[in-house]
Amino acid sequence: MKNSIKVERAKKNITQAELADLIKVSRQTINAMELGKYVPSTVLALRLAKIFEVEVDQLFQLEESDWD
Amino acid sequence: MKTNYLLPNNLKRVGWILLIPSSLFGLFITIYDMDYAFLDFRVPALFIDEIFGKKQLFGIIENNLTNEVVGCLVIVSSMMVAFSKEKVEDEFIAKLRMDSLAWAVYFNQAVLLFSMVFIYDMSFLWVMIFNMFTLLWFFIIRFTWLKNKINKL
Repeated sequence: MKNSIKVERAKKNITQAELADLIKVSRQTINAMELGKYVPSTVLALRLAKIFEVEVDQLFQLEESDWD
Repeated sequence: MKTNYLLPNNLKRVGWILLIPSSLFGLFITIYDMDYAFLDFRVPALFIDEIFGKKQLFGIIENNLTNEVVGCLVIVSSMMVAFSKEKVEDEFIAKLRMDSLAWAVYFNQAVLLFSMVFIYDMSFLWVMIFNMFTLLWFFIIRFTWLKNKINKL
């Protein structure tokens, strides 16, 4: 799964640590999501979307490999 | 992130302070077969099966409690290190914890299986003694290693 967390974060001009505080996770979790190493739960995805004021499917996109 | 099986975060530090010396001391008294006379006690026992002696359910026996005390310390302190909360407890760390736990069970059983096939008699007694504690040790090593790895990213 792809995500545009890093892009949205750049638009808002906030650091990983600041975003981490906003959605109540650790900075490492933000980093792991941006690197595509961790797929967040629905709740966390919704929290991210709320903070960035976008729809969830603008933030996360399915890839071909997600259907395997 | 709400979890119902984790201990408070401040127990992690206490756990480490107890776990390292009690593990080393446990290793020491096991290898050198040591005990301390001031820990000789008469204790209640559920099963009594003495070599060349009586067999019975329940009763009072004479025992040296050195290994019991150290063993309990290792168990309690390794539980504290293994299952106390992180400073920021979220779903990602919860996943790392579960993955590490599964990894540790597989690894521990693989070591046990290998030992069962290739280690015999009294040497196997050592395997059994260590195997009482290794599951949590392996888990702690794996989980700590994974946390360090993600910290460096």
